[in-house]
Amino acid sequence: MVKSRFDNFWTYIFLGLMSAFVVLPLLYAFSQSLMTNQEVNRWPPQIIPSDPTLDSYGTVLSQQDLRLDLWLRNSVFAASGYTAAVLLICAPAAYAFARLKFPGNKILFAILLVTIMIPPQVTLIPNYLLMRDFGWLDTFNALIWPGAANVFGVFLLRQFFSQIPDDLEEAAVLDGAGYWGRFRHVVLPLSTNALTALGIFVFLGHYNDLFWPLIVTNSLETRTLPVGLTILNSSYAGQYRPMVLAGAVLSTVPILIVYAIFQRRIIQGVMLTGLAGR
Amino acid sequence: MSVQKVKTEKSGRLGINLKTREIIAAYLFLAPFLIFFAVFVVRAVASAVQMSFFQWEILRPARPYVGLANYQELLSDAVWWEALKNTVIFALLTVVGTTIVGLAAAIAVTRPIKGQGLFRVLLYMPQLLSVGAVGLIWVWLLNSQFGIINYILSFFGVSPINWLGDPNLVIPALSFTTIWWTFGFPMLIFIAGLQGIPESLYEAAKIDGANARQSFLRITLPLLRPTMLFVTVTGFISHFQVYGQPLIMSNGGPGRSSYTVIFYLYQIAWRAFRMGYGSAVAIVLAGIIAVFTLGQFLFIGRDVEY
Repeated sequence: MVKSRFDNFWTYIFLGLMSAFVVLPLLYAFSQSLMTNQEVNRWPPQIIPSDPTLDSYGTVLSQQDLRLDLWLRNSVFAASGYTAAVLLICAPAAYAFARLKFPGNKILFAILLVTIMIPPQVTLIPNYLLMRDFGWLDTFNALIWPGAANVFGVFLLRQFFSQIPDDLEEAAVLDGAGYWGRFRHVVLPLSTNALTALGIFVFLGHYNDLFWPLIVTNSLETRTLPVGLTILNSSYAGQYRPMVLAGAVLSTVPILIVYAIFQRRIIQGVMLTGLAGR
Repeated sequence: MSVQKVKTEKSGRLGINLKTREIIAAYLFLAPFLIFFAVFVVRAVASAVQMSFFQWEILRPARPYVGLANYQELLSDAVWWEALKNTVIFALLTVVGTTIVGLAAAIAVTRPIKGQGLFRVLLYMPQLLSVGAVGLIWVWLLNSQFGIINYILSFFGVSPINWLGDPNLVIPALSFTTIWWTFGFPMLIFIAGLQGIPESLYEAAKIDGANARQSFLRITLPLLRPTMLFVTVTGFISHFQVYGQPLIMSNGGPGRSSYTVIFYLYQIAWRAFRMGYGSAVAIVLAGIIAVFTLGQFLFIGRDVEY
């Protein structure tokens, strides 16, 4: 007992250091975003702003060549559209794989298994050219549709759907439900946890994605937040640092709010989805 | 079983037998997915392979077949080899770092202490940030003139280090940033793995007189091997695709010392518009990832039982 308390002491010390390691960079960025340009360029560095000001936030939101609020809306819109598309397309497919008998079930599923090993960069160039041919460059279509056939989503949902007891679907059959009715009124309502976990996961991944939005968008109006931050960095990092940090802080606020609300689900979701890959 | 029976009873409705109805239903459920999958995955992969055999440039109307020329060019392309070397070093450093930090954090937060859940939530937090935000914050922390990291080091008598401007330090600096950003995922996977180890094993070891270090080496590590395999394989695959950190924090520099494979792919395809050569790079990347993954399975997974 005494020994265990002693061990806990060192555990707290370690976790305290880890927490500081995680949180201090964020707090420091926030603190610097409240300083003036002169103050951030001082040596030794100031930890606490002597005269905190929100000017940098005003400046970063009012620049002609930066549209942070619009980029935030774009990111939310594109990620929501993408999440809806993934769920609408993957859930029925997962239902067929999990609960219906049809020729090709196993072979098709094996093909999906193989493609999960192919790194996404292989499809970048052909899909970029396809977007160009469709006339979808610089539109939300390019941000939403190409990744909608999310193979990982099908895996996860198929796993979940197969665990639902047959009896429940059977009862619906007796009530005269067809395949769609059973999927819609039995399987889906029982799977809200898996659907939510996948939804959050897919949303966050898309919201933070950089490469694809960078290549398929090119006007200020269609950029997403991560792309916008690279623009902010390359245009202003040299001359006005607090403004750049204000932009970084602003971009993290929505995601931290989402995390504060859904943290339990996100953590469970990562463990669930991570382990599903094992 | 009984579902089968019910189906048989209802057979004959609409004059189509039930088996056929189930098959039709299945393909209707699959149709949207299969259409998207065929267009954006199957077609795209086939097209990438095909394009890699052509001199396919956006600005040139003629796209002659060049056989393996793109792959041959890659073999003698000094920038490619440098990018590959940087990427491998980055991925190794980052995978080792995130695995060790993730495991240590996971062990700490599975101990029966107060605030366990809070620490998990806190430590996973950086993982949620976009590479843009992480890059902007860390490029400033690592700044050679005004950065807080050099300031902290100055207390230990270290003179200012040009983290992102020194060809030998830029990859370790990007890797350190990435460890800060992404150790949360291995941590959560290790927590799940640790929870799967029966407590009775530790009690038995204690009775046999094993100390904490011994039970870590003899029980925890061996039983975590499948988890370790998963964490390192997925970690290697994802960190091998590093791109945003060098783009934002060092723009591939100084010189080409932080060019990575994907960074270079971007330069080839979207700066030089050489889609055929870019496709060859992507195909080779897929091959390298496949070989590494297989190697890790053979190395770590030798006697892992699934």
